Amino acid sequence: MNDLDTAIMHDVKNQLAELALRLRKRGDARAEMEIAMNSSRRLSEMLLLSRENSDQLWVNADSVNPADFLEILAAEYAELFPDVIFHVDVERAPACAFFDDALVRMALGNALHNACRCARSRVQLAAFEQDGMLVLEVYDDGPGFPEDVLKSGGKLPAAVSGAGTGLGLYLAHKIAELHQLNDQHGHIELSNDGSGQTNGGRFRMVLP
Amino acid sequence: MATVSKVSDKWILIIDDMEGMRSQLRMSLSSSGFAKLHVVANIREALARLSANHYDAILCDYSLGDSTNGQQFLEYLRTADLINRNTIFVMITAEQSYAKVVAASECAPDDYLLKPFTAAEFNIRFEKLLNRQEYFTAIDQASDKKNWPRLIAECDKLLANRDKYFFDLCKIKGAALLRDNQLQLAEALYREVIATRPLGWAKLGLARTLAKLGKKAEAEQLANEILVEMPQFMAAYDFLGNLLSESDNKKGALEVLMKAREIAPGTMHRIRELSTLAVSTGQPEIAEEIMRETLIKHKHSPVRQANDYAVLSRALVDQGKTEDALNVVQDARKIFTDNDSNVVLAVTESTVHHAAGNDELAHAALEKAMSTGDMASFSADALVAMADACFALGREEEATRLLNHAVQNNDEDATIKDKVHAVMVAAGKDASEATALIEASAAEVIKLNNEGVLKAQSGQLAEAIELLSEAADRLPNNLQILGNATLVIALDLVRNGKDPVKLAKCLAYRESLTKKSPSHPKLEQIDGMLKQLKA
Repeated sequence: MNDLDTAIMHDVKNQLAELALRLRKRGDARAEMEIAMNSSRRLSEMLLLSRENSDQLWVNADSVNPADFLEILAAEYAELFPDVIFHVDVERAPACAFFDDALVRMALGNALHNACRCARSRVQLAAFEQDGMLVLEVYDDGPGFPEDVLKSGGKLPAAVSGAGTGLGLYLAHKIAELHQLNDQHGHIELSNDGSGQTNGGRFRMVLP
Repeated sequence: MATVSKVSDKWILIIDDMEGMRSQLRMSLSSSGFAKLHVVANIREALARLSANHYDAILCDYSLGDSTNGQQFLEYLRTADLINRNTIFVMITAEQSYAKVVAASECAPDDYLLKPFTAAEFNIRFEKLLNRQEYFTAIDQASDKKNWPRLIAECDKLLANRDKYFFDLCKIKGAALLRDNQLQLAEALYREVIATRPLGWAKLGLARTLAKLGKKAEAEQLANEILVEMPQFMAAYDFLGNLLSESDNKKGALEVLMKAREIAPGTMHRIRELSTLAVSTGQPEIAEEIMRETLIKHKHSPVRQANDYAVLSRALVDQGKTEDALNVVQDARKIFTDNDSNVVLAVTESTVHHAAGNDELAHAALEKAMSTGDMASFSADALVAMADACFALGREEEATRLLNHAVQNNDEDATIKDKVHAVMVAAGKDASEATALIEASAAEVIKLNNEGVLKAQSGQLAEAIELLSEAADRLPNNLQILGNATLVIALDLVRNGKDPVKLAKCLAYRESLTKKSPSHPKLEQIDGMLKQLKA
């Protein structure tokens, strides 16, 4: 992507954000506000992704408190999806984990956004340690990921489904992979065994 | 928001050049219960507000039009001590500048907000920042007073909790141990953190410690390793550049800083290092380009210093453009009028005239520089700059006297000795001659100090006071002398009874000492005696 493309995307992104704000001020167009805000954020991700292609996306890992991290994320999406019930499970979360706060926030925010759209009523967030890795988890009680998304596991940028999950998952996959400790890299895991009886989607980001 | 009571009495300053963003933030904050808001569009207005009010938090957009950016502004606020450490500073950034912002982590804000953000996100993040602010209050207060031992003690208290701030505390404690020269403890702390997790700041902290311990090769290797893993870690470039420059590898240092420049627009500190290195390695055209661009960009911004113009002028002189160089000095005169700046600019003017072959004008400019104040009032950098100009004009005796004073008046600052050394070598002196002058100057003041102490010990208090207070007035930054002068007067007061003139002098010295070194070892003894007086 050249500089002009980037500038155009950036400008459109800002205008969408402005639109979202005006809709919020009106107070009677929550769904429309959500669409505009989401589009703006998606453009933000694409811009970051384009940087990743030119080798400029760097991980700046530091100590992060997973409970604070997930609470902030949940509060943000609770505002956009007032009908969804959020549950944050951080009882098993360590006090300190190590990752790039902003990048992982973007990746998880995307997963959370998808979960909110698919959920019938509930979305859960959790953080815990497993086999020496940190697991950040988002799951919902919706219909689960489509077959092709499960198959690609977010590894292909091309797998953009109607709901627009493909690009976000690809970015999440990239961000996880960029987190590295010794020879271990992070990864994402997708499955359909979320909460409820419907086998809703479960997104996991596993970080070293 | 649950914390309305908490936020309603917090003072917030918002700095953003975009009207839309300003009103959005204002709206968002007032609807969340914040009542005390000031909103400004640029750095000038922000500084005016900051000089009149105390703020609990500053929200600043990274991009402030085509001028000084938020990061450079933060660097300026911190180095000039214009905000206290407990003030929350949040940088608001768009994704395309995100990497640049995070890269400049030497002087990091407390949090970053990536645009666009929702009111809910902002509120909850801010609430967490307020909790953090409260948690770190005692530590931040010690930091503002530059009282490192107290800061370390406060960290130790909280580290015992092993809570979510554990690594933040380690980071702050490590930096304080380094400032307080407790190098073994600093090394142990950084190694312990790295064993848990090889975080960038811990590795850089270890590299800094190793360099201070004299293990320069190890420090260099570690810094290079950090940059391979994290090419965006700007503080590591600054450290490595400085390390190479100190080991007299100026070319290598320049290369390192040029690489950093490709990644992020420099902090003012880095831009200064770069231009100075470029001049001293015989590449004045690089210095000219960088400094010109910087000074144009920061037009009307307080981050500029007279010395920036001096460096530009020097770069022009080295290319034979003496007329341009003089114009630069004239431009700077319109902006800077304080004493130190006057000296720097007059010395620069002298250098330009000398290079142009007008020694009469060069002498006149130098006279002007030297007549701006007495020796004690000049900063070490001003003294060194004047000595440089004296050497150029063959005024050796004056040059030596200036350098002698610079060394004696700054006994605890090792960088002054390096600067004195460099000036003498640049003036064509032998390195051994430079070292001899530095050692002789230092020895002279130590002898004087010992004489004073001996006199005091043998009961000749009046003579001791005369000797040491004369020295303390002449060398107000020599803390050894200042500490002993304060102490002998206090001793005299205890032994010979109160004397209002002596007491006033003692208290004035004590205040000056506390200001310059809040944890000076002599203070405890001095205060013990002053307490006896009250009893």
